[in-house]
Amino acid sequence: MKRYVVVWLALLAIVAVEVVVTLAHPPTGLLLAGLLLLALIEAGLGLLYFMHLKYERRSFMWSVILAVVIAVVLMDHFWLDAFRLLHQRISAP
Amino acid sequence: MAELTAVHEPSPFAVPSRKLGIWMFIVADAATFAALLFAYGYVRVANPDWTHPFAFWPSIANGIVMTVVLLTSSLTVIAAVLAAQAGRKAAALRWLGATMLLGTLFAALHLREWVSMLREGWRPFRNPLGGTPLVGATFFSVTGLHLLHVLVGVIVLAVIALGYRRGRFDAGHLETTGLYWHFVDLVWMFVFPLIYLLNMR
Repeated sequence: MKRYVVVWLALLAIVAVEVVVTLAHPPTGLLLAGLLLLALIEAGLGLLYFMHLKYERRSFMWSVILAVVIAVVLMDHFWLDAFRLLHQRISAP
Repeated sequence: MAELTAVHEPSPFAVPSRKLGIWMFIVADAATFAALLFAYGYVRVANPDWTHPFAFWPSIANGIVMTVVLLTSSLTVIAAVLAAQAGRKAAALRWLGATMLLGTLFAALHLREWVSMLREGWRPFRNPLGGTPLVGATFFSVTGLHLLHVLVGVIVLAVIALGYRRGRFDAGHLETTGLYWHFVDLVWMFVFPLIYLLNMR
């Protein structure tokens, strides 16, 4: 149980860091990168320890992780269009 | 007539079928939440008039409390599984009860936030601050789907706890339910920073 309490405390500490970083009002892009990185660390800790992936067979662990990673990577194709819309300025008729 | 005999192959992952099933659900559900968060990212990038609705007090403070509550509920569900695996039935049931209470508290805090926003005039397709209405659409859809998962989780925990008390379910069932609960917690680890913190005034 002690191991899980340590992970829980680590997760709480990461949430505190997220809030402190946000209150420092960095540029949006930097804030997004920082928050995503911290969220990924939290997800990793949760998956490995709370969800016990660390103690499963490696083949199972990577099958689960890769399935999600591939799905997420495949979703990345539309960012170009989002930025195109951001920079598109159509004047009203 | 030849007799049919079942062929039992060892699981390639050494994982019981029930556990494999919940993991397959988690992978699919993770892709669903990822798609919703990507859609939120798309409309946010594409809309220069994106509004930031959340002040530190009360919205972000409420979000911090919700996060602590959900993270703590992950710890209590682990305590329940460990107690069940050790054969301590009463302790397992107490920890399951604590998890359900924390899940209900999270849902109540979430609904309080929703009510507060609705009173300010926010709707899924209306922005009272004058910017794009997609702020409300993405907020209510992402947090709504997560809230639905929490409520379903509390109900499933109650069903499993009752079955466990009556001897119908065992520690394996608790572990499988715990995996779902941890996943709901894990999704919030992305929802809180991306939906709340990134939209702070």
